[in-house]
Amino acid sequence: MTALIAVLLLLAAGIWFGATADAVAEAAVAGHPVRAALTSPFRRAALMLSRQAIATEHPDRLNRLLAPACYLVLAAAGLSVIPFAPGMAVTDIATGLVLWGACEALVVVVVFLNGWSANAPLPLIGGYRYVAIGLPAMLISMFVLIGAALPAQSLGVGAVVESQRVLINAVRQPLGLPLFLLLGLSITLRGPFDYGDSADLAGGTHAEASGAHRLLWRAAKLAMLTAFSAMAATVFLGGYLGTVLPGPAWLVLKTALVMLVLVAITHLVARVPPARMLTWLWTVLLPLSFVDLVWAGLEAMR
Amino acid sequence: MAMKALARIAMRAPIPVFVATGRGWLGPCRKLAASADIAVVANIRQAAILIVAGEPRDEDRDALRRLHDQMPHPRATAWWGTRPFAEADSALEVSATDDPGPLLRRAFAALLARVRESEPDWLPDDPPNPWRGEGDHGQGGKGMMGGTPYGRPMAMTADDLRDGLALDSFSFTVGPFYPSLPPGLALELVLQGDIIQSARIVRPPLDPGKGAADACRSMIVGRMLHLLELDALARRCEAVPVDDRDAVAALRRRIGASGAMRAIPDGLGRIAGADARTRFTRMVAALGDAEASSFAGPGGRLVDLLPGLEWSEAMLVINSFSHRDLVALAPREVEPEEHREGHGT
Amino acid sequence: MTLSDIAFWLFSAGAVWTAWRVFRTDSMVRASFALMLSFFCVAAILLLLSAPYLGIATIFMMAVEMMVMALFMVMFMMNPAGLNPMMMVHQHKVSIGAGVAAFAGLGAAALLTDLPHHAVAAGKPVIRDLGTELLGGSMLIFETAGITLLATMVATVVLSSRSGRFGAADEGSRPPGLEPGGKPAGRAPERDSDHSHHAEHGG
Repeated sequence: MTALIAVLLLLAAGIWFGATADAVAEAAVAGHPVRAALTSPFRRAALMLSRQAIATEHPDRLNRLLAPACYLVLAAAGLSVIPFAPGMAVTDIATGLVLWGACEALVVVVVFLNGWSANAPLPLIGGYRYVAIGLPAMLISMFVLIGAALPAQSLGVGAVVESQRVLINAVRQPLGLPLFLLLGLSITLRGPFDYGDSADLAGGTHAEASGAHRLLWRAAKLAMLTAFSAMAATVFLGGYLGTVLPGPAWLVLKTALVMLVLVAITHLVARVPPARMLTWLWTVLLPLSFVDLVWAGLEAMR
Repeated sequence: MAMKALARIAMRAPIPVFVATGRGWLGPCRKLAASADIAVVANIRQAAILIVAGEPRDEDRDALRRLHDQMPHPRATAWWGTRPFAEADSALEVSATDDPGPLLRRAFAALLARVRESEPDWLPDDPPNPWRGEGDHGQGGKGMMGGTPYGRPMAMTADDLRDGLALDSFSFTVGPFYPSLPPGLALELVLQGDIIQSARIVRPPLDPGKGAADACRSMIVGRMLHLLELDALARRCEAVPVDDRDAVAALRRRIGASGAMRAIPDGLGRIAGADARTRFTRMVAALGDAEASSFAGPGGRLVDLLPGLEWSEAMLVINSFSHRDLVALAPREVEPEEHREGHGT
Repeated sequence: MTLSDIAFWLFSAGAVWTAWRVFRTDSMVRASFALMLSFFCVAAILLLLSAPYLGIATIFMMAVEMMVMALFMVMFMMNPAGLNPMMMVHQHKVSIGAGVAAFAGLGAAALLTDLPHHAVAAGKPVIRDLGTELLGGSMLIFETAGITLLATMVATVVLSSRSGRFGAADEGSRPPGLEPGGKPAGRAPERDSDHSHHAEHGG
């Protein structure tokens, strides 16, 4: 029960923190006053709530509602396997990493459905372009996560944390965290990996969304950012492990750190056209994840 | 009560406006984009106020009406230096020389407080062509496919340009108010997936006029940065004071550091010996330099550059040209028949 | 009637209902995701059977597989949201026959097999056991089956693609050029044993 409350609190705080960090980074890069950006997420949310949520011509109503809602649920489900302290997770199962993998895979489905259900050309193009990039990005993260599970000899997230008491995985497997961060950008549709909601498609999968519908989709993206960052902090940065401060505090701090890194990348790094990224994914990044896996295996056998 | 509190908070947000730029209005529009109080949005679905800046071309009037009707309620339209359409009741009029900021702020607050009435549709909610009940399944076409239900032509199979695979090709028109295209340009594209099979100029881009080179360049570089998912940097670029050398130099450094040039594939959209990356690099280098010339090379046609390109590559190619070059590359085509335009989002 | 019994019946009903929806919807994307939901219900039943890895892996695999299937269908038929009504069922008599035969066969197998009745002991390392089974005693079977399936897929494509998109494969079908009017893409068919395509390059 405590863990469930902790998950919901972390999600809510993460959405707020992510939105604020985004607004501040945007203002700083754009040269706008940073002070005003601190409170701007509330104003923007209020504005979206007070506007009409337009329905397109002949949409797939069910999936149009389900897509953002499921995205939010997936973020919560992904966060549920993360231990806040030894043994303190909502779903403390031995297959936590596989469950997280299932969440990643379903994000691709949800983003596609969001683009498809609007029944308009630009969201549809965004939807299937995202599938083309999102699936290989997810494959890479699978190999990286298997690598992280090797020293723990378990697919349970708790065991992965405990295996980092001596050395955190970010140091033990140096390729792991950078490759995993790429997945984070991909499943949260951000910056250099924003192939679903991109500007060349006037917003891609949510190009036709307005009002509360738009707010829900954005909140879901930020919730997924939180869930992903907590996962990265847990699997590669030792999660709740740390001295002086209590375990949950360490987890929150590390999560916030990963979020800030992702937000910075979002606003500072350019995106390449999808065909080029697809080539890189299959010919450079996927082989790199094999290298990471071999490295992790050799290191675990030592 | 709760709604009132919500509206009060919302009123303090930057005003989301969508700008329909008219001929010769790039400069004033750029000033508008530089204001921190106004958020120029790239999608009409996000906008609360549509700004019609300058006299729209006669042929763009219907597209403008369609654009207006896609805006969510509560909404308003501001006419900046032009006369409102006859159907636009209670129009917000701003004279060409005035700053629309204060008027927009008042109208925005009145809209959210429900003091000002939201504008109704300008067009009847009818399909552009009759289709209901036609065909075997009442879908508006022949057999199981085809037709133009809801005014959108159905995808039909056609040979793919590259590998001969018979995929469904899909044709639609973007522009003349599409945010990733230069103002005025409207293209009819035939797509298979996100690969452009053929392109046709429906409307040529607006001629920016003399003395707008600076404004043009920073708006184009801004659009390119948007296309490269660098929204914040794009906003900085659109607002950069072009005569402030330090500010321009700092901006150039940031653009270089983001990898924006290297993100554009080598050899993309090559014409007259320069590809999109080279043209973009030159344009960034010429920011704040009013004397810099555009490429003005041997004539070519924009529509010949686009087929075979993926959507975002095509957008990069189009925006790598200066407005003046684009006017030369995309001349008005002889119109074979009456056709649709729209999708202004 | 325990809680897991109720859950079993609920998920079974869900699996059957969503499987039925696959054939009732007029949009291929909706059909593939209805099939995905049906598999998810089966995965939930696997979880009830104390097979956590298999259950969650089923969700994972089905999400990816159905996504790829839906993507291919959108690629071949760019119909944004099933605007046009379509007949989704073909060859009624054959499919009814095949459906009845498959149902009878699988039903008989399920009813006639002597399935184990005892519950899995709490604390049994089921995932470790599964791994030992897959990569231990049964490794030869699984690896052989895997390679055979892959070979079958490749062979099916080879056999079915003789009459290719650009003419019969053994008569030298050449795809059109990568650019309109360009040089034909793909490899030139080799006429004799020496490297004739090198000669073509030279010429």
